[in-house]
Amino acid sequence: MQSLETETTFDYQSESYKDAYSRINAIVIEGEQEAYDNYRKLAESLPDHGEELLRLAKMENRHMKGFQACGKNLSVTPDMAFAQEFFAQLHRNFQDAWAEGKIVTCLLIQSLIIETFAISAYNIYIPVADDFARKITEGVVKDEYMHLNFGEEWLKANFEASKAELEQANRENLPLVWAMLNQVADDARVLGMEKDALIEDFMITYGEALANIGFSSREVMKLSAQGLAAA
Amino acid sequence: MFGLIGHLTSLDHAQAVARDLGYPEYADQGIDFWCSAPPQIVDTIKVTSATGQQIEGKYVESCFLPEMLASRRIKAATRKIINAMAHAQKHGIDITALGGFSSIIFENFNLSQIQQVRNVTLEFERFTTGNTHTAYIICQQVKAASAMLGINLSDATVAVCGATGDIGSAVCRWLNARTDLKDLLLVARNQERLQNLQAELGRGTPMDLDSALPKADIVVWVASMPKGVTVDPTTLKRPCLMIDGGYPKNLDQQFSFEGVHVLKGGIVEHSLDIDWKIMSIVNMDVPARQLFACFAEAMLLDFEQWYTNFSWGRNQITLEKMDLIGQASVKHGFRPLLDLNRQPLTAQAS
Repeated sequence: MQSLETETTFDYQSESYKDAYSRINAIVIEGEQEAYDNYRKLAESLPDHGEELLRLAKMENRHMKGFQACGKNLSVTPDMAFAQEFFAQLHRNFQDAWAEGKIVTCLLIQSLIIETFAISAYNIYIPVADDFARKITEGVVKDEYMHLNFGEEWLKANFEASKAELEQANRENLPLVWAMLNQVADDARVLGMEKDALIEDFMITYGEALANIGFSSREVMKLSAQGLAAA
Repeated sequence: MFGLIGHLTSLDHAQAVARDLGYPEYADQGIDFWCSAPPQIVDTIKVTSATGQQIEGKYVESCFLPEMLASRRIKAATRKIINAMAHAQKHGIDITALGGFSSIIFENFNLSQIQQVRNVTLEFERFTTGNTHTAYIICQQVKAASAMLGINLSDATVAVCGATGDIGSAVCRWLNARTDLKDLLLVARNQERLQNLQAELGRGTPMDLDSALPKADIVVWVASMPKGVTVDPTTLKRPCLMIDGGYPKNLDQQFSFEGVHVLKGGIVEHSLDIDWKIMSIVNMDVPARQLFACFAEAMLLDFEQWYTNFSWGRNQITLEKMDLIGQASVKHGFRPLLDLNRQPLTAQAS
């Protein structure tokens, strides 16, 4: 039987690696920046949880600085324009939902989709990261599980009232994630992150979150695969 | 609670099952999709022992497909197994059997080095390959089916194909110690392992497949038949007992000749109906009663509350462990499948 390559070495200073890293690193920085903004907005809408949400927001800000340091460490300038465009639609959907007072949709986008996206990307990145970035990312991923947990707990407590809106928001936003993954699949591969591994990790973590909130296994299977076939 | 990690036999099979179960998102998808699909708990199982004791279990579909190995998507294949194990552990399952190719992939790719899966640290003592019970059942099938066919073990030559594997070596060990069979032929590719096995047993003749088959009254297959190998049926002994212990079970199509009797190896029948849906999906003849012996091992360990990786690692199966799991098997109402293909099809099947 074939052998399993568990260790691959990367030339972190090669032009091709740094070129791909400029976009992936920018996405991570932008993602943390948006998470920071989103949690501050959510703190306004959920004053009972305001303190906790502001604490989460601060954590995201710290993560952003950590990832900026990762780019600097490799002498890479993140392509922030690319990253802002990358998140534009998801960002717009969050803004629209917030403006309409749709907290459930906001939580699905930030606490479930964006956090799960981050967790899966960080989990797949850690084994192939440079030493400096690995340490930073390992610290971040532990925090991100906590953030995912906030959304899960809130939605679980309000499950019946939130169910229909969650399904609708999932339908509108999950396909964006698959499109976003496709958009960076080549860059991610250069960094040693395979697209099928990223999707799988996303579906596992997202599915677990949906199950914790209260969806049945059958619903989880349908919801977490929504739009994937068309991607 | 016990768990079973299983998978489907091919992409076509997976698509058909997804359609039957009402998952259009999963049906009609190609191999890329399955490489990304997460593990799922698709069945909850209730088993009652012959003693009256009841236990509950869960079936974890890993979404692994054999095509992943064939198309060299090894990382995807290994992820499926590791992720299914993490899924089982997260759901609080005490002891889970690695069915089908799962344990083979775990062993061959040395997955014990991957203990951290996301935020789960795998506890390997919660898993078993189930190979001890499989080996025990195959040995019981050799004994009982040969008697049914009038083959006297003390006059018989047994060829074990895949002799140096975990199950194969255990079968050799048991047949050598617990029967008076005349001759034991050891068929495997790795010469060094063959020599070691022969030295351990103090008997047995290493032999290639072509030479071994015409000499054997009984052939135990625990490796699948190599692709492209054709067997001249006229050279086989009559009667000849073939125990198909490989996966998937397809030897009956290869050897549908008069006087050649193929028995599905490593399959048990339970004395009471099991409340589950999954065995009809994996095409058991009697889905409420029949199951893979490796799965039954997880049930036995749960019945006896032996929460330990009873079968683990390569070539660690001792006669004592086979006896122990065998006693539990009988006690709780499992028996080896002895449904001999007594009226073989004619040679039309390839």
